[in-house]
Amino acid sequence: MRKYVNAEAMQHAMKLLQLGAKVQQFNGKMCYVEFEIDGHKLEYAYNINGKNQYFLERIKPYPLPLKAFESEKDVVEIIKIDMEQYKNAIKSKNIDQFIEISSEMNIVLRKFEDLFLYYNISKEKADKMKEHIFKVEEIIDEIQKDSKRVNFLKEPDNLKTDI
Amino acid sequence: MEENHVIIAVSIFIATYGIIISEKIHRTSVAMFGAVIMLMFHVLNQEAAIDHIDFNTIGLLIGMMIIVGITRRTGVFEYMAIKSAKIAKGDPWKIIVLFSIITAVASALLDNVTTILLIVPVTLVITDTLEMNPIAFLIPEVLVANIGGTATLIGDPPNIMIGSAAKLGFMDFIVNLLPVVVIIFIVTMFILKILYKDSLSTTEEAKLKILSMNEKIAIKNELLLKKSLSVLFITILGFAFHESFGFESATVALTGAAILLLISKVEPEEIFVEIEWTTIFFFMALFILVGSLEEVGVIETLAEKMVDLTKGNLFVTAMLILWVSAIASAFLDNIPFVATMIPLVKGIGAMSTMSIMPLWWALALGACLGGNGSIVGATANVVVSGMLEKHGNRISFIDYLKIGFPMMIVSVAIASVYLIVFYL
Repeated sequence: MRKYVNAEAMQHAMKLLQLGAKVQQFNGKMCYVEFEIDGHKLEYAYNINGKNQYFLERIKPYPLPLKAFESEKDVVEIIKIDMEQYKNAIKSKNIDQFIEISSEMNIVLRKFEDLFLYYNISKEKADKMKEHIFKVEEIIDEIQKDSKRVNFLKEPDNLKTDI
Repeated sequence: MEENHVIIAVSIFIATYGIIISEKIHRTSVAMFGAVIMLMFHVLNQEAAIDHIDFNTIGLLIGMMIIVGITRRTGVFEYMAIKSAKIAKGDPWKIIVLFSIITAVASALLDNVTTILLIVPVTLVITDTLEMNPIAFLIPEVLVANIGGTATLIGDPPNIMIGSAAKLGFMDFIVNLLPVVVIIFIVTMFILKILYKDSLSTTEEAKLKILSMNEKIAIKNELLLKKSLSVLFITILGFAFHESFGFESATVALTGAAILLLISKVEPEEIFVEIEWTTIFFFMALFILVGSLEEVGVIETLAEKMVDLTKGNLFVTAMLILWVSAIASAFLDNIPFVATMIPLVKGIGAMSTMSIMPLWWALALGACLGGNGSIVGATANVVVSGMLEKHGNRISFIDYLKIGFPMMIVSVAIASVYLIVFYL
């Protein structure tokens, strides 16, 4: 198996070098982690390698790159916190709606990327889009203000808590 | 008790080889299990089992795997492939010829599976760029890898085993096998040219893409490249003169490997993990299995039968070994076959007056060239088939057989003429 992987990696490196990339390849292990919490699947993937960097990504319920960590302990810790947060979130009667909204946002993000990669967008249209995004952000901030915080395992990564 | 041992040893041997041939379980697992069962049944003891392992073959394989493992990191194969494709100006047939020459030479100096693992990925990049089906490029590479590997002591595992058992050096193989290998290579390329006539074409745009590739950026580490190529050169030089200095070939390979590990400063763990330990353990287990048959006298009996059958006639014996080895190696793993044949040939030598030197060449030519007969005939063929499938191009057993088998027959026929003219 290893020889096939090496041969394929050799092809990738050769093609990418010709595209002008700097390519580094190192041995590692790909880890898939799976939890099932009350019928909801929670899955993560991360890579362990000799360079002591662990690229953690949540795969389910929706894909989300989490972080590159410096130690194996951090990876397990962040999975543990994420899993605990999900355990709490799953108890909420809005969990299905939350997952649906998150998935929709992911789709919107990908559509937005396609739009900019495949079409020539005018500044007015881009401004219009930005305006809508700000509105969504305002709604999020507004909901945050009006809602009771229930999870104190760690501080949120993206929301300000001192408002 | 002794008769029991014969029955037990033969039964374990046949069962083990049968399962290896069926490919239902990994060959290394089966061979190791067969070997330990021989020990469990006291066919031979541990000390005798270890004595039967040919550590010269094992050392040579490990040494070369380390040298290649470090050298491949330099990007030298990628460089040669791009440079050759540019020299050929993107012309498909010229690329096939140049890649075949690289493959044959590399296969003679390295193990042919390793060569295939280095040349196929770069070929796939070139055929993707040319927007062509890679099969027309890879079949010649497989054929010439097995042909090129026949030429030297280190080119193919059967030769390593034969060289070690018969005390034949690197130069013995070069002097006796290289001339016929060159002829077979030229004839093979000529036949392929006729086969592929007019069927290879690509667009001018694709050719321009080849010409726009930069071979220099393929070299990942220039200093490591210089160190690796220097050590490889010195090692090959060492092979050429190892007998004069009284060194075994494994000593030369392991010396080269140790020097390269030392001067390259590459983490040994990263290189050792790339060594094909499954192949190494397969060899060790095979040596124990065949050694068990030797211990109970089965090989001696088989040699007697063979001498009776051929009436001690060198011509008949050599032709029998050549053709049986070729046909067997076309469909079976040639490593266990050669492992069994080696003590048999030694036995024939011990109980007849004939010079067995031509028999070693017959065995080497038959076992190595026979591998071209079918897609399962050699590990290199299986590796290419697997890589093609992963790439989305499948070559069926019959598709390969239509080209490979006649090519194998032609090459073994040339080898027969060569042996008759010069040795028999």
